[in-house]
Amino acid sequence: MKTTENSMKRHMGMKAASRISNTIIHLILVFISVIWLIPFVCIVIQSFRVEPTTMSRYLLHHPEIEFKWGFDNYIKLWQSDFPKWYLNTFIIAIVVAVVQTIIVLCMSYTLSRFRFKLRKPLMQFMLILGMFPGMLSMIILYQVLKDLGLAGANAIPGLILVYCASSGMGYYVSKGFFDTIPKSLDEAARVDGATRSQVLFKIILPLAKPIVIYTVLTAFMGPWGDFVFAKYVSGVTPSAYNVAVGLQSWLATDTMTNNYYTMFCAGGVVVAIPVVILFMCLQRYYVEGVTGGAVKG
Amino acid sequence: MYKKKIVPAVVKTVLGVILAGISWMVASVLVPKIKKSILTPYQFGEDGFWVWAVITAIMVIGAIILLYLGIHEMIRTTQYNKKVVQSGSYIKSRERNGLVVFCSNAGKKIVQFFVGIGKGLAGIVTTFIHGDWKTKISYVVMGFGNITRGQVLRGLLFLLLEIVFIGYMVIPKGGAYWLSMLPSLGTVAPNPHGAYNEVLDQWVSTPGDQSFRILLYGVLTIFFIVAFAYTWYTNIKQNKIAEDILRTGKPLKSGKDDLKSLVDDQFHKTLLALPTLGILIFTVMPIVFMILVAFTNYSSINDGMYNGLFHWVGFENFKTMFSWDVGGVNYSATFGEILLWTLVWAVFATFTNYFLGILVAMAINKKGIHLKKVWRTILIMTIAIPQFISLLYISKMFSLNGLINGFLIDLGFIKPSEAIDFLGGNNPVLARIVVIIINIWIGIPYLMLIATGILMNIPADLYESAKIDGASGWKQFSKITLPYMLFITGPYLLTSFTGNMNNFNVIYLLTGGGPTNPAASGAAGNVGYTDLLITWLFKITQTGTAQDGSQYYLASVIGILVFIVVGAISLVVYSVLPSVKNEEDFQ
Amino acid sequence: MASVKLTNVKKVYDNNVVAVHDFNLDIKDKEFVVFVGPSGCGKSTTLRMVAGLEEISDGTVEIDGEVVNDLQPKDRNIAMVFQNYALYPHMTVFDNIAFSLRLQKMPEDVIYNKVTNAAEVLGITQYLMRKPRALSGGQRQRVAIGRAMVRDSKVFLMDEPLSNLDAKLRNQMRAEIILLRQKLDTTFIYVTHDQTEAMTLGDRIVIMKDGYIMQVGTPTEVFEMPENLFVAEFIGAPKMNVLRTNMIKAGDKYYVTPFGAKIEVDGEKGKLLKEKNVEGGEILLGVRPEHIVLAKEQGEHAIPVTLEVNEMMGSELHLHVYTEDGTRLIVRIPTIDLTPQQREGMVSGAKLYVTFEGKVMHFFDPETEKNLLF
Repeated sequence: MKTTENSMKRHMGMKAASRISNTIIHLILVFISVIWLIPFVCIVIQSFRVEPTTMSRYLLHHPEIEFKWGFDNYIKLWQSDFPKWYLNTFIIAIVVAVVQTIIVLCMSYTLSRFRFKLRKPLMQFMLILGMFPGMLSMIILYQVLKDLGLAGANAIPGLILVYCASSGMGYYVSKGFFDTIPKSLDEAARVDGATRSQVLFKIILPLAKPIVIYTVLTAFMGPWGDFVFAKYVSGVTPSAYNVAVGLQSWLATDTMTNNYYTMFCAGGVVVAIPVVILFMCLQRYYVEGVTGGAVKG
Repeated sequence: MYKKKIVPAVVKTVLGVILAGISWMVASVLVPKIKKSILTPYQFGEDGFWVWAVITAIMVIGAIILLYLGIHEMIRTTQYNKKVVQSGSYIKSRERNGLVVFCSNAGKKIVQFFVGIGKGLAGIVTTFIHGDWKTKISYVVMGFGNITRGQVLRGLLFLLLEIVFIGYMVIPKGGAYWLSMLPSLGTVAPNPHGAYNEVLDQWVSTPGDQSFRILLYGVLTIFFIVAFAYTWYTNIKQNKIAEDILRTGKPLKSGKDDLKSLVDDQFHKTLLALPTLGILIFTVMPIVFMILVAFTNYSSINDGMYNGLFHWVGFENFKTMFSWDVGGVNYSATFGEILLWTLVWAVFATFTNYFLGILVAMAINKKGIHLKKVWRTILIMTIAIPQFISLLYISKMFSLNGLINGFLIDLGFIKPSEAIDFLGGNNPVLARIVVIIINIWIGIPYLMLIATGILMNIPADLYESAKIDGASGWKQFSKITLPYMLFITGPYLLTSFTGNMNNFNVIYLLTGGGPTNPAASGAAGNVGYTDLLITWLFKITQTGTAQDGSQYYLASVIGILVFIVVGAISLVVYSVLPSVKNEEDFQ
Repeated sequence: MASVKLTNVKKVYDNNVVAVHDFNLDIKDKEFVVFVGPSGCGKSTTLRMVAGLEEISDGTVEIDGEVVNDLQPKDRNIAMVFQNYALYPHMTVFDNIAFSLRLQKMPEDVIYNKVTNAAEVLGITQYLMRKPRALSGGQRQRVAIGRAMVRDSKVFLMDEPLSNLDAKLRNQMRAEIILLRQKLDTTFIYVTHDQTEAMTLGDRIVIMKDGYIMQVGTPTEVFEMPENLFVAEFIGAPKMNVLRTNMIKAGDKYYVTPFGAKIEVDGEKGKLLKEKNVEGGEILLGVRPEHIVLAKEQGEHAIPVTLEVNEMMGSELHLHVYTEDGTRLIVRIPTIDLTPQQREGMVSGAKLYVTFEGKVMHFFDPETEKNLLF
């Protein structure tokens, strides 16, 4: 009797302990969520501030000034260079998403499926190339683009060219995915009379939908955030800026009289919304790609 | 019974000796400073003394550990082997140390490469001697044999390439010109204002030589020559094969067959052609170019396009980077300090994210936690928002007039006059800590995703058996979860470490490298306390000194050094990682 | 319908591992040949070289008299069933089976007839519109076979097609493969590691080890006349007992002396030994478990043993016994041969006497492990 009572007590104790620990974890998670959301909440709130100000220590109230709220920043945004920047970035993102996906898929499918003499050396070579800081190439690429007339005002095609050209280096995650598709499928199809290209288009690609979406998604999101190289290439031609360069230029020249700070906030919101919506819709594929890529090293 | 290999122990000992030697060399530079400090009121802090002292100390400790381990292991291994031999039958061990395997493989590869080239050359000669006249003519007129034997398509392609190649080489300002200019990188400086021409009796702008183009097209020409030589060799091989096939009486592949095979058994060539060409031109070529730049004095003043010429300077730039005093600037100390911070940053940025990310993932995945999806989605959302927005905004939040100070004032922690400039103030330690904390904010969502995926794959029976064995929660974490995670994510940790060493975005967008480091005031690039090597490199290309403009050559030197550091770390880590197995294991 | 001929076929991998050494085999039209051997013996590699999925390092493979070394799999006109079925997961069963026909650009109505016919033969008509995911292992296997069936190919290759199925289903599918073979009436090459499958399916069996052919022969030949110790031990379950013992030649007669007993080699085997004029000496003596019988009493030909484990298999008993010097033997005795009392006596530790006849013995050279009668 006593032992059962004891074990009952212990059982109850365990339950209580786990309830307490769960409560603590819930509290921690709430705290974490708040921390992670604060910047976004703040940026949205500040984007509706009307009066010109460099930036503010105060979010919702101020000891001295009466805050005014409105859509002024968004309207100013529309009248500024911003729509042009947005369009630039959008064009880059679309083209890059398509071309980069094709290149990455070609590369990763080949490296996963074909066994040819230069396969291993090629992969090792790319591994070593990846250890060079990419920053280094920028100076020369900028000069080359300038020579080709693709810098400054024509920065958009220049940027697209550079983004796409070296995208073969990012084959790793999707190769990992292709490696998980059994090779016997290829072999069965080849025995069934398919050429190598038919194997790719009829068997592998339909099965690789998740990784195709992952690749498109990451390729599409990349140009929205690229800042350094875009700044380098577009130089002093505001019409060729992408959103990152443009918005940064506002922050850098923010003064008491222009509304650049709050306009930056509004611009950030406008940039983030479609990307976030797209991302949330395709979240599943993104998670699959990220985890798969890391697990396979 | 296996006999243990003594090689790993010897390798450790030798590495220890080498490390000890290097640290002795570095320390020898420090000694005069210490002497100086005794004789004069000399301040240690001035020129990076402490940085080098710390690096030396780390190296000395590393050397001692390596020597201890190496000698200890050597003694134990010899004793053990003696016993094994005494005990009778033993088998030679097949296990080999990863680093040893790598080195011996690399050695073998290099030998194979040269043997291959030798064989190729021998093949060229014997083919010429034994080949028929069609083959012999193909040595000069590429594709001749193919065309006369009926493989018109192939032959024409070979011929076309030869014509293009020869044409490119001989036209004015063609390959031959660029190659001939390569050793000097140009002699006549471009003069945008022009020079007086006596014949025409007027001012004529003189384009002069353009070092930049010479180097660029010189490198491209060398690429082209190598490619052409390879094609020429292929052309000969093809001719020989065709000749041999015809001799056996079989038909040759037609042009149609060739085209067909490009979507079938040669499909990989079709698929790889475009991506590798892109990589070759837009990744390999710039890297080769920039490596070469490190041996020139290419800068924004001597840009080799519009202003001046640049020329080869040998190892001069590396000497600059490692010397204590170049025109009053101590590059050695600056580099040492930035390297140290880069490594510290990479360690903290990688491991804080890693462990906290795992903890968050475990917290969300714990049984009895509600709204799992909500927590996860909130974190994932931060991945979706372009980093430049969040980073720039956060850097503003942490600035002197930012929201964080506002919160602190509102809550009464500080007075408005005491506002803290977290990222740009005079407090380098605070800036560094804040940068690391903000990086946690950036990184945890990724790690949470990755860890969630792996945690779900840990077999549940491992935990069940651990529970039955009476393991507590902490024991389960440290004995099962963590080892499993480390095993699986070993390669990921390595890439994320090297990625963090080159994490340009976070540092540049948050602090721009600041606060400014007065100790390095003379060095190129306006060095700050949170500068990584990569941001320093970038800043050198952006900011110029009065006499030399932006010193691209120094940036190249840093780039090469970053490559060496990253490569060395990767090589060592790869050789000890347990989970780096043959990639075929995954298939 | 075609013959397949392999001449000096060799497979060397990039890391210089030789998977197949000098493989020579002539497969006649409509023959059913089974490659069998332990894992890593090169049987699958050989099959894949015939299929064109693996490059042939040396030698030639001919199908129907034509050298196919440089042909792509699709140009060899073969059909193949894979171990893990290799069904295209994104296609329905119908599309899976029709895939090869569509690649041949056959008219849809012909395809429809062919697929439904095959499905009917295999009993999978009701699953035609399903995806492979929704099928059981046995059904998937049928689809894989159906996919190979519709092709009217010259050679039918099967790479361990039954090894992913459970024991019961495997027996059933084995029978169906025999039926299928009768229906298709074409050349089959079948790879397995299971000697039962090899024995029941093959017209001829090719037993391989470490890339070498150990023996080629009909099931009866390899069972009754194993060329070497490996084949003897590999074919038959439980495996053959092998004893190191002496053979004595006394005039015209041969005796073996396992564990102090003395048994005459009489009948056919004795005659053969005489013909080959085999000298006496140390040999390896092989006796299959089913050929060992319980001796009535102690005697010159009886070996005293102690029972260790008694496995009741239903129709027969597998007795694991050991002799005085500790050598373990397996004895297989039909249950029906034993009286109830005898059966009750079969407990661990029981003392028994076993013996065997001369005609069931196999003799191997202790050095080369070759059969002395070959």
